[in-house]
Amino acid sequence: MKYIVDRLVYLFVVLIIAISGVFVLVNKMPGDPAYGLAVSIAQQRNMQMDQALEIAHKIMGIDPHESLIVRYFRFISNLFKGNFGYSAFYQTSVNEIIAKSLPWTLFVISLATFVSFLVGIFMGSFAAQKRGTVIDLIISTISSIIQAVPPFVLAVLILFIFAVRLRVLPIGGAYPVDVEPSFSLQFILKVLHHAIGPMFATAIPQMAAWTLAMRGNTSQVMEEDYIRFAQARGLKDSVIANKYIKNNAMLPLVASLAISIGYMLGGHTLVESIFNYPGIGFYFGKAIAVRDFGLLTGLFSLIVIGVIIATFIAEIIYALIDPRVKLK
Amino acid sequence: MKNKRFSNFFYDYIQPILTNKKSLIGLIIFSFFILMATIGPLVVPLNMNSNFAERYQKPSLKHPFGTDYFGVDIFQQIVHGSRSVISLTLLASLFAVIIGTIFGVARGYIEGIAGKILDAIITVFLVIPSFPALLILAAIFTNAKLNAVEIALLVAIWLWAPLAKQISAQVLTVKSKEFIEASRMLNMGLGYILFSDIAKLLIPYIFINFVTQIKSAMEFSIGLMFLGLAKFDPTHWGIMLNYALYQAGALYTPKGFHYPFFIILNIVLLIYGGILLAQGIEEVFNPKLRGHE
Repeated sequence: MKYIVDRLVYLFVVLIIAISGVFVLVNKMPGDPAYGLAVSIAQQRNMQMDQALEIAHKIMGIDPHESLIVRYFRFISNLFKGNFGYSAFYQTSVNEIIAKSLPWTLFVISLATFVSFLVGIFMGSFAAQKRGTVIDLIISTISSIIQAVPPFVLAVLILFIFAVRLRVLPIGGAYPVDVEPSFSLQFILKVLHHAIGPMFATAIPQMAAWTLAMRGNTSQVMEEDYIRFAQARGLKDSVIANKYIKNNAMLPLVASLAISIGYMLGGHTLVESIFNYPGIGFYFGKAIAVRDFGLLTGLFSLIVIGVIIATFIAEIIYALIDPRVKLK
Repeated sequence: MKNKRFSNFFYDYIQPILTNKKSLIGLIIFSFFILMATIGPLVVPLNMNSNFAERYQKPSLKHPFGTDYFGVDIFQQIVHGSRSVISLTLLASLFAVIIGTIFGVARGYIEGIAGKILDAIITVFLVIPSFPALLILAAIFTNAKLNAVEIALLVAIWLWAPLAKQISAQVLTVKSKEFIEASRMLNMGLGYILFSDIAKLLIPYIFINFVTQIKSAMEFSIGLMFLGLAKFDPTHWGIMLNYALYQAGALYTPKGFHYPFFIILNIVLLIYGGILLAQGIEEVFNPKLRGHE
């Protein structure tokens, strides 16, 4: 129990350092963070620039005479209250953007995790059991080549081949614009159809990583003494393969599942931008393109929180499933 | 003496790399691109003038990779771009190794509160998702005209943490070993202990990390250029890809398929070479896999 509390405190400190770092970086930027919003207000309402700036400051909750430290503590305390800030570009609170985009990201990421883990485990243990044969060579070579393709290049290729050329996948959005969201089967199918592209762009590199990791673990377990002992006891090969080898080789991978979800949260950014898929990554990319630093800080804080929670869960799972690691 | 040292270096480091199949193939691919980067631009002239009569030409003897939207030879651009791709990658990897080693050794040696703080800093950089963080940094510096060293540093900031973690763990365990104690008893001075005793144990880690980071360094720098967040050499492959896909819209014209294809082919081949080299070197040098200690 003490261990858990210790880790929680430690990860909390890490979280604060990370978020503070981004805050300082973004706020040390030359120029006024409300400037962009002020320009659009001035244009819309036909106002003087300094008047518009004042309104912009009010909307975004910035007092230009405040020191950086006061602003920093306001930002942190807001964050604890669950307020992620204000987006100057979309002229709405970051919370609202998160509320409508996070479900899509979680949906695609969990699909991708599920598919890549299942396929990776299967391919990896299959390759390890056929070690030294052509099948093993093919599986591991393809997996390494896939790892050499940067994720954004893979996303572009999928978009190009399946959406632009073959026209079997949509080129953007989470569902067709002319369809009202509902719980009908037809709508769900449409949603799945739109998720295929971003899902595979995220899942394929993960699949290759799981395959290689599972292959390595399986070959290691196959050398263990207890496997030889099981063979000596005359157990069936299929029993050994499934009960003894697969389970033991999978153990460390299950623990890193949570970490991989956190990793995908970060790596998903570009994929969503390329597919115009309205998740967290899409808005993150947008925030970078238009230099909306309020949105940027808010979304980044969310991603870091997600990754840290995932890391913590991974540590707990690891301690729970591996009896050798005791929660001290 | 010098000769013996050289032959030791050969048997310790060069020969194992050449006998491992993976690292050998990786080395061949990598040397090919390094040749391309060093000698290539001297042999292949670059003519960036647009020539609309020859746009989107298919690959031929005259244009091995075909021509782009402006009728400029793609092969020439790839050859000239390889110089900035490879120099950026190696620089970023080198910086990451230097930062990681300094932080790792410092963390291993410093105890108490300062050590804890160092540890927290390393964990922050381990945990933060590096690509989004890199994008934020790049967005902040986007208007400043960065040179190669600065871009490499920007990338390296997100690469050094794993090495620092490994090195600090090594230093922590090694610090109390008998031979270090012996050196200390002999009044050998901190410098000698650090650079002679400990460095020998750390070199495999540093070496492996340098090579494994090549993949991420390449991915990150090409990603930055691809998103147009860092302006640099116009023949850098990331910028070429950005240009092919977003400016020229080569994906939407059937004639333009070879344009992005050859850029992607070269990117993937180079990264694949890096991965093979890293895998092979890890098999050869990883103290764990080799059963040191």
